[in-house]
Amino acid sequence: MTSPTLTVAASAKNATKKYGKDEGVVYALNNVSVDFYSGQFTAIMGPSGSGKSTLMHCIAGLDELTEGTAVIDNVELSTLSDKNLTQLRREKIGFIFQSFNLVPTLTAEENIRLPLMLGNNKGDEEWIQRVISTVHLNDRLTHRPSELSGGQQQRVAVARALASKPRIILADEPTGNLDSTTGSEILKFMRMAVDELGQTIVMVTHDPVAAAYADRIVFLADGKIAGEMLEPTAEKVLDRMKSLGN
Amino acid sequence: MFRIALKSIVGRKARLVLTSLAVILGTAFLSGTSVFSATLDRTFNNLFEDVFKNIDGYVRSTQVVEGDFGLIERQRIPADYVDKVLSVPGVSDAVPDIQAFARIVGKDGKPIGTEGAGPPTFGSVAVEFKGALWTIAEGKFPKGPTEVALDEASAEKAGYVLGDKVKVVAQSGSRTFTLVGIASYGDVRSPGGATFALFDVPTAAEFLGKPGFVDAILVVGDGSRSDDALAKDIDAIFEPSQKVETLTGAEITKETQDDIGQALSFFSIFLTIFSVIALGVGSFVIYNVFSISAAQRQKENALLRALGANRAQITRSMLIESIVVGLFGSLLGFVGGIGISKLLSVALPALGFDLPSGGLVISASILINTVIVGLVVTVLSAVLPARRAGKVPPLAAMRATAIETAGPGRVRLFWGLGSMLVGLGIIGAVIGGSSNNLLGFGVLFVFIGTIVIGPSIARPVALFLGRPAETLRGVTGQMARQNAARNPKRTSRTSAPVLIGVALVTAVSALAASINGQIADIFTEQFKGDYAVNSNAQGFGGLSPDLATTLSSIDGVNDASGIGTVLTKINDKGRTLIVITPSSIGGNYDIGLVNADYSVLDKDGILISESLAERDNLKIGSVIPVTFGDGVTRDLTVRALYVHNDLAGDRVISRETFANTTVSSFDFSIYVTLEKGADNEKVRAELQKAVDEYGQGKLLSRDEYIDEQAGQVNQLLGLIYGLLALSVIIAIVGIIITLLLSVFERQREIGLLRAVGMTRSQVRTTVRWESVITSLLGAVVGILLGLGLGWVIVFALRDQGLTSFQIPVGSTVFIMVMSFVVGVLAAVYPAWRATKVDMLDALNTN
Repeated sequence: MTSPTLTVAASAKNATKKYGKDEGVVYALNNVSVDFYSGQFTAIMGPSGSGKSTLMHCIAGLDELTEGTAVIDNVELSTLSDKNLTQLRREKIGFIFQSFNLVPTLTAEENIRLPLMLGNNKGDEEWIQRVISTVHLNDRLTHRPSELSGGQQQRVAVARALASKPRIILADEPTGNLDSTTGSEILKFMRMAVDELGQTIVMVTHDPVAAAYADRIVFLADGKIAGEMLEPTAEKVLDRMKSLGN
Repeated sequence: MFRIALKSIVGRKARLVLTSLAVILGTAFLSGTSVFSATLDRTFNNLFEDVFKNIDGYVRSTQVVEGDFGLIERQRIPADYVDKVLSVPGVSDAVPDIQAFARIVGKDGKPIGTEGAGPPTFGSVAVEFKGALWTIAEGKFPKGPTEVALDEASAEKAGYVLGDKVKVVAQSGSRTFTLVGIASYGDVRSPGGATFALFDVPTAAEFLGKPGFVDAILVVGDGSRSDDALAKDIDAIFEPSQKVETLTGAEITKETQDDIGQALSFFSIFLTIFSVIALGVGSFVIYNVFSISAAQRQKENALLRALGANRAQITRSMLIESIVVGLFGSLLGFVGGIGISKLLSVALPALGFDLPSGGLVISASILINTVIVGLVVTVLSAVLPARRAGKVPPLAAMRATAIETAGPGRVRLFWGLGSMLVGLGIIGAVIGGSSNNLLGFGVLFVFIGTIVIGPSIARPVALFLGRPAETLRGVTGQMARQNAARNPKRTSRTSAPVLIGVALVTAVSALAASINGQIADIFTEQFKGDYAVNSNAQGFGGLSPDLATTLSSIDGVNDASGIGTVLTKINDKGRTLIVITPSSIGGNYDIGLVNADYSVLDKDGILISESLAERDNLKIGSVIPVTFGDGVTRDLTVRALYVHNDLAGDRVISRETFANTTVSSFDFSIYVTLEKGADNEKVRAELQKAVDEYGQGKLLSRDEYIDEQAGQVNQLLGLIYGLLALSVIIAIVGIIITLLLSVFERQREIGLLRAVGMTRSQVRTTVRWESVITSLLGAVVGILLGLGLGWVIVFALRDQGLTSFQIPVGSTVFIMVMSFVVGVLAAVYPAWRATKVDMLDALNTN
């Protein structure tokens, strides 16, 4: 499956996350090993409770694994202090969440530059301008989140995730709260970020249509890898999901 | 609905505790004060019951002059009355009692005890007999003119042991005695921290008072008749013209207990005023917390409304919550109050205020009072937020939560400005000549207006104050600034307690600064001496009049003239008169005599101020009957009028008027002028030597003296600051609670920020600066308001001679710095909590 021309941006090895003890133990992740490649748009799919969000959170350093390792850019996350982990998130990861992506007291532009500002980093101005125009936000920069539509807010979130040229962008159901038209617009932007800006994106979703925008899909069920799919289409994904769902 | 309300409380224990905190602090101080006062009352009652337990009768003069501040001087009675009393059948023993001002001088030559501000210093009698008030713990009772006994606490404090030479200062001068006994009073080592030098009767009469006279006679019966019958029998042997009365043992016990009770009640009223202020500040915090909690529960309440609850039910459920908080808080406050009073009873002896032993008096009535006050304050503070909660439309349940983001309306601005204008109008009217009594209302309206307008100005002011934070701290400072401004209502309510505390402190400081300045001006103008020997005795005791005579005989001294006070009664009202020596005061003290000099004041004369002359329609030649401490009324003729009554008061008499009588009078200051060309340093050394030899008083140069007089206000200031500190603590708690609730409310935001790369220390910075901005907001507005209030008070006191308002620059800077520190301190815990926000929880709550 691994192509020699691809480099690994992030990976999980024997990742296990369990809750509770003894008989009551529940596995959110059960010995999962997976690599995510640079320059690719990967989707993680699975039914509710399959462990897809947990996997993403552990790779992002937002949550800790019980066993196994999570690696980003050759750095094993469990070795980092909270401060270094925060720094890594700031510099090497871009986040897009389902909702509540933006700080309400900051303008759109300040939200976009937030990770850079937190790191006292000016960033690559040319790149930032390019990102802003790619997501068509030039005339919305001074607005606060409350003055933006849901789709505009997610575009700001995409722009923020891109602004610091992260090693990897992690998106958790980024279109979950949007109508299908707006959602597809966001997915196109993400596609564009990979194709034209050379970014790496890992997206968690349960929507086959959204997953169809990806280059590769990793399926999870009951905390385990349940297969992969390359060059997916919505129909193929739907079929596979049906088999996983039960 | 009741059950829903209870469930909602139990479901939010943390908030219950937070809300209660303000109630707890406010009521704790209130109940602590009550418990402490009750305890003091009882222990002193027990003490006097113990001390007077063997006394069956108490003989004294009926003639009393009362001065200000509860000072009284009772006429003395001839010592030979003792023999008359002894001859009454049923009397087994009768011993004179004398109590007067005396100070024990320590080994370092400095008198023991704080003059004026501290507990009183006494000289008295210790005689061995059945009814003795003092018992000897070590050594023996003093006998003869060279022996003294000291109370245990004073002896220990000064490090005196039996056999030591002890210098004591009294009205007749200073003298050195040999320490032969250490005495205790009931079961205490010194009553209430007062110091006692104890002598036998002849020595006490001669040294402390007047030879041949005593203050009272303690009588012990032989048990053959009741105390009442004994008192009647004793009374019967005196003529009405001798003006003597006999109290039973129970009566004198009761009277002494009542006297001390009254003295203590000043103390507890003072403390109560400050606990009421603290409660008022606390009610703001309670109001704020309920408002925030109503806003945060908007969705929940709207859901209840959608499911069929009516407005009244929602309102009621919040009021029920407030009742629970009020009960819970005031009960804990009561427990805390016991702790506070325990602390006071430990702290006071450590400060030299020896208290009789005895457990705390915890009565049901204190508990009930505390709970009622706590409950009423809490429920009243919750009424408005509860009504607002009831007004939530059911549709709000479907909407995304709008948390108090609505800006302040025009109505608010209208009423706020209206109230301020009314207040300013009233103040303007007073300045224009209306009665001073209206000033309070004016100030109140301005305060209310400011609080009402608060939310309207909170946003721009917070944004302005937050600017340095943004410059200094970049994006974290910027977020802090925006956070402080995002809920103007909340920010303004949170800063209101700071505002009130700061306004009060500033006003008091401004008043003090103005008084300071004024005093300096007055002394500069009226005090003409080169040196002053000063005692800070405020009405009780002071310097012996002999000291002035001693000083004036020093080479190079032109004049040394004592200025003292004497208690008198004029038209049945207690009056304190200034006593001078006309022959020597001339060049020292300028009271602005009109077309006259001091030589017009003879022993039958009196000088009065122009304002008194105008008020009482008196003129030169008018006769004023003045009753002195010896019971004699002397007709004094007005010899001249004078202008300056700020120091001299309205009446000045000559020392000659009551020379060679039992009237007691001390000098509070001696003013000294040097001869022209005298060697300043040499004379000063001589003066210092004489003062040291005497044992009491402070020699000060002209400038030092004026500085010290002006600085006296600062002592009182310290006390007021200390008590206002409680309000500041509550204000801090208010900020802590609000920040915690805000942090709770912004969990998702904080989680997001942490996820996209905000470090814990950056989270802390953000919370800290928000806190600082909130605190500074209160401080800045409070300072402005306080300066205004100070100016108004100074203006209101213009008739008392306060003419110039001064801005307390130092205090203002100090308050700004302190409010910064307060902001930082208040943020510590909320900031820590903010760093503990679970990112996943925050991000998963969709």
